[in-house]
Amino acid sequence: MRGSAGATGDDRAELLPRGYRIGDWEVTEPIGAGGWATVYAGRTVRDGTDREAPPGGHGAVALKVLPTAGLAPRQARKAAETARREVEFGHRSSHPRLIRLLGSVVLGDPDRPLLDGAVVLVMERARGSLRDLLGTGTSETEGARLLTEICEGLAHLHHSGWVHGDLKPDNILLMADGSVRLSDFGLATELTGTHGTHGYAPPMGTFDYLPPERGKATLSERGVEIRPSADIWALGIMIHEVFASGASPFPGATPLARAAATQEYAEGRVPLRLDGALPPFWRALAADCLAPTHAERAAHTAESLLARIAEKAAAEGEAGSPVARRRTVRRRRTRAALAAAAVCAVGVAVWTYTGRVGATGTPGTPPAGTEDRIRVFNAEGGCRDRTDRNPGCSLGLAIDPRRPYTTDNVVPHRVWHGDELTVDCRLSQGIAILDEADTQSAAWYRVHLPRGTSRPTAWLPAVRTKDRPPVPECPAPTPVR
Amino acid sequence: MSGVVIYLPQGKTGAGGGPGGDAVTLRLGPGQVARFGRGSATSPVELRLDDEAISRLAGEIRVTDDHWQLSNHSTTQSYLVENPEGAGEYLRVPPRRAGAPIPFEFSRVVLPTRRDTTVSFQVFAPDHVYLDPDGTGDQWGSRTVTAYSLDETSLYFLVLVALCEPRLRDESPVAVPTTPEIVERLQGHPLLGRLTARAVSSHIDYLADEKMRISAPAEHGLRREARRNGKRETLVGLVLRFGLVREEHLALLPPRPGTGARKREAAR
Repeated sequence: MRGSAGATGDDRAELLPRGYRIGDWEVTEPIGAGGWATVYAGRTVRDGTDREAPPGGHGAVALKVLPTAGLAPRQARKAAETARREVEFGHRSSHPRLIRLLGSVVLGDPDRPLLDGAVVLVMERARGSLRDLLGTGTSETEGARLLTEICEGLAHLHHSGWVHGDLKPDNILLMADGSVRLSDFGLATELTGTHGTHGYAPPMGTFDYLPPERGKATLSERGVEIRPSADIWALGIMIHEVFASGASPFPGATPLARAAATQEYAEGRVPLRLDGALPPFWRALAADCLAPTHAERAAHTAESLLARIAEKAAAEGEAGSPVARRRTVRRRRTRAALAAAAVCAVGVAVWTYTGRVGATGTPGTPPAGTEDRIRVFNAEGGCRDRTDRNPGCSLGLAIDPRRPYTTDNVVPHRVWHGDELTVDCRLSQGIAILDEADTQSAAWYRVHLPRGTSRPTAWLPAVRTKDRPPVPECPAPTPVR
Repeated sequence: MSGVVIYLPQGKTGAGGGPGGDAVTLRLGPGQVARFGRGSATSPVELRLDDEAISRLAGEIRVTDDHWQLSNHSTTQSYLVENPEGAGEYLRVPPRRAGAPIPFEFSRVVLPTRRDTTVSFQVFAPDHVYLDPDGTGDQWGSRTVTAYSLDETSLYFLVLVALCEPRLRDESPVAVPTTPEIVERLQGHPLLGRLTARAVSSHIDYLADEKMRISAPAEHGLRREARRNGKRETLVGLVLRFGLVREEHLALLPPRPGTGARKREAAR
């Protein structure tokens, strides 16, 4: 994972000259060198033929080079392990909020011994990172958008059974259109264990973003135990940094001092002191993310945080606050660019349900009297035992079942496990939804909302119920914007 | 960040009350304070040093960041903080000095008494952080680093390299040297004139318990020696797996007996 002991960062920065050819790409200039790898800007070359540009090849890519040559065998294995994690993760996950891995190449270049055997990861090229933005001061609207998108990426990651393990502003990339991508999956860990609650990661991390329990974590040969709550802690730190001009919530001039302050807080000797600059909503969210123990933090999943953000956005939308409206307009612009990617990701799953079109005849307005009842099912076991309608256990209903199931596409009305809803039809080809237990379905049920809510109906993903009511297929919904 | 460990050995100091006194181990987290001295009902101390020459409240230790600070409450006596591994390296903390930062990972705090003897206790600061070898030095705060760091100039590191040597040289995928083998292997190292088996065992315990915090599987009924073997195998497995000890570290060890054996034969 770490670079060569013989080569310093400076040496490695000059590894690849301008114009160096890697697969279908060529190097344009170095972007930066981290402890793990050296990153170069690159672009697609067409090779003089009429061949199509490789996927994602609007030209600009980032080339992340993990050299293995010149390393002792054990270190080479370690570098290869990092590359393996990233490649494995990249091939198994695809989401508009995660940086896309376009390909990976192992260099064979006997003339350049330092490059021979190096692994190159070819990725979407970002404009910059959240780190670049922290010093400049972000408006509440912009901060909220960035954090919402980070949370969307994190919710997807955790849903798919992975923990990022090294979440920090340097690894939150911003694309040319301003949208967020999580990146750097070198420490990403797949959740294992009988209940998929934890995984094992190499004993590495970044001081300012490590949860307090890591300070006392034991180490086994598999690595150090890591759970999604570690990412939630890092998210809490980032919420604070975004609104407090990059300052950590923990005092101290050095990362070590701040790590010690984190420990004092976790042991209950000092309270959490959040900067006054945090807007009240985000302050509450940061405080929940920064709950001192894993157990307390576990109640706040990326999904539940996202639901709270959606609820707030919806409330603001209803109140017609100018802030919310501006934000919606802005979000729509970025959404347009993402729609295509989301559709691709979903394409495979769309046809898994045959639907009831054939059985019920021509789709049209459901005839009266076909209404039925369905009971909401929450795949998170911990939530099924609760009856207190905890916000963290609430589930969302979509406005448009064919648009990405994200915060701006959710009605303010929430539902909980066990709620009974009136359903009138079923849409078999909406956007595919993966639930916490990895059940995937593209089917949705149109359910009635209580009187007095802003819309008469909304959509419940079929994965959120165990019932299969004999309702007809819905007419194709008109796009809701 | 787990703080520091204070260890007052069993014996003459009479700590813990009764004659002879039991050994005392205190763990302090960041920001925590331990007072030491003779103690009394009105000036309670966490670490009792039972000698009439020592004040009731002789001083205090406060954990700060990854190190600790020593305050000397005596108005007349200086205290010494020795680095037992530092070839005579020490600090003198003068009377009434408040919060002197102590840079050593291992320290022995020595207080003078009226007789020719001294009273001393040890303080370990296992959280000292070392940068990864390939760091460029700039902005290390936001860098991804190895969360367990080892002082590559320390004796425990030498013991660790000796433990890993057979596997690093691919001689034996299984065998981890025993304590007597380590003692023998490190013989002749200039810094280790009188390395004892007990010292090797305590270095291994320190590495496993304080530095790496190895989660040892609970093995009931195993003899102490077997448990210790399990611990050292786990230790070797994981420092190699995570690259904390690498091939280049073999250069720290004295020349191998294999190459120097004939010379030694001749000398006898």
